[in-house]
Amino acid sequence: MAVAVVLLSGAPFHGGCCRHKVFLSLLGPLLSNSKLYSSYRRPGAEPKKKLSWQNADFSFKKSIDHLKTQLSLLTKETQDYLQGPGGHPLSQHVLEQTRVLWQFRSQEDLNKWVISSDVEIGGKSKVYIKLGRNNQAALLYGTLNTEVPRDGETKYSGYCSMRSRPAVGSFNRKKYYDWSNFNSLYLRVRGDGRPWMVNIYTDPYFSHQKDDLYSYFMFTRGGPYWEEIKIPFSKFFFSSRGRVQDNQHPVWLDKASFLTLGLTIGDKVDGPFQLEIDFIGLLNDRAHREEFAYETYDKN
Amino acid sequence: FTASLLLGTTLTISSNHWIMAWAGLEINTLAILPMISKSHHPRAIEAATKYFLTQATASALLLFSSMINAWQTGQWDITQLTNPTSCLILTSAIAMKLGLVPFHFWFPEVLQGTPLTTGLLLSTLMKFPPITLLYMTSPSLNPTVLTSMAILSTALGGWMGLNQTQIRKILAFSSISHLGWMTIIISYNPKLTLLNFYLYALMTTATFLTLHSTKASKLSTLMTTWTKTPTLNAALLLTLLSLAGLPPLTGFLPKWLIIQELTKQDMA
Repeated sequence: MAVAVVLLSGAPFHGGCCRHKVFLSLLGPLLSNSKLYSSYRRPGAEPKKKLSWQNADFSFKKSIDHLKTQLSLLTKETQDYLQGPGGHPLSQHVLEQTRVLWQFRSQEDLNKWVISSDVEIGGKSKVYIKLGRNNQAALLYGTLNTEVPRDGETKYSGYCSMRSRPAVGSFNRKKYYDWSNFNSLYLRVRGDGRPWMVNIYTDPYFSHQKDDLYSYFMFTRGGPYWEEIKIPFSKFFFSSRGRVQDNQHPVWLDKASFLTLGLTIGDKVDGPFQLEIDFIGLLNDRAHREEFAYETYDKN
Repeated sequence: FTASLLLGTTLTISSNHWIMAWAGLEINTLAILPMISKSHHPRAIEAATKYFLTQATASALLLFSSMINAWQTGQWDITQLTNPTSCLILTSAIAMKLGLVPFHFWFPEVLQGTPLTTGLLLSTLMKFPPITLLYMTSPSLNPTVLTSMAILSTALGGWMGLNQTQIRKILAFSSISHLGWMTIIISYNPKLTLLNFYLYALMTTATFLTLHSTKASKLSTLMTTWTKTPTLNAALLLTLLSLAGLPPLTGFLPKWLIIQELTKQDMA
């Protein structure tokens, strides 16, 4: 079969006659480099020019430098392991009631986040991120556009989001943290009055749970004053592939690895938006006694 | 499900035929799966899936080992395992069932995803049939392989449990460490293995039930139990020290006897 394809692909170079043209038209899809499934590319998606293995850099010097970086990270991880959980003494782990996870003071802090919008599916929303005044906060701004891309498939559009990059250790291994001491998310923000959605993605082990997401809403005031918003983890509801599930359960934070936090705006209102974020942290609110806000169905 | 667990355990420990032993192990595996995934939380489902995959692989290896032995020797008696390949495959199957290094990676994750009572069953009752099989086949197994796995289990169980903050994971690593102690002596004095297992099961049961009554699943919760149940907390302290093997508590006894026996065998 492979030999036949190779011979026939060489046929145009021999300047074939009518028989070859008919034969080639029948075997056109096989001879071209297209995949067997649909090759439709969404307007916002970049055309795939190179295969992933073709992007590999085989430079020896770079690989030695990379190895040195990874070994130094491994050394630091070992030293942190000797100190205690998460690189801190055990007493700190047991006694701490607040922890700052992300704060925006430099470009390096901004690089820990990824912004995206409906441009990926062919929409027209725009989103940007930069450091705010005096490098004291991150400014997430842009324009929301709910115009649906005309590709015959998409029904809804108009979202912009900012997601944290998952933490990786040495040799790109997943880093595990324990957030179970805390029961609330604490954000210091200054918005423009628009509602945002806070999403938590706990990287599950098996692929059939990869679409699971825990979400809740963050309503901003829009005034000139900073807001300190506390969102208890008991309020986060469970959804899969964008659909809220009937079977609800609280989010487990004992394995907060690869746990990405996301802020999404998708309130179906066209126009500009702006959100300044000073820091995002965790809080153990002793006054909050609720375990889970939603009804769970007891089976059997 | 508990009745099925007891049936499976009894079937395995009382059998002379490999197929009956394997059937008992399978009944145990299938019976505990709904207990692990009872809460239908994604982490519980993940734990159940991981448990099923490892235990099914181990059961398949066990059956394969018994079939090779039956093919070579013509008999299915558990105590007559003579083929060296069979012995090696059986060792790896039992190690996978028990959670010995290097087949231990599933155990902390599975225990973390289960409720405390099911975790107790996983740590005690589910270990009993594989240890029985190990006891019955111990004269035929390779001591070097067992000793290497035992030393690695004891060491890694201790080191990896150091920085854990979730109690169930700490108990999982404690289990791995104790299994190392049980395995190292099985080739020389199998009765010490059983003694170690019975005492370990007793101490672990006490620990799990105490944690279940105080609803403590992480270290920070455990730190505040002394205000609620001071007596139980003191008892838990003693039980944990016993698990650690501190003299003059009970947990020191098996360790002492094992080291004494290893010294007689010129190993310690």
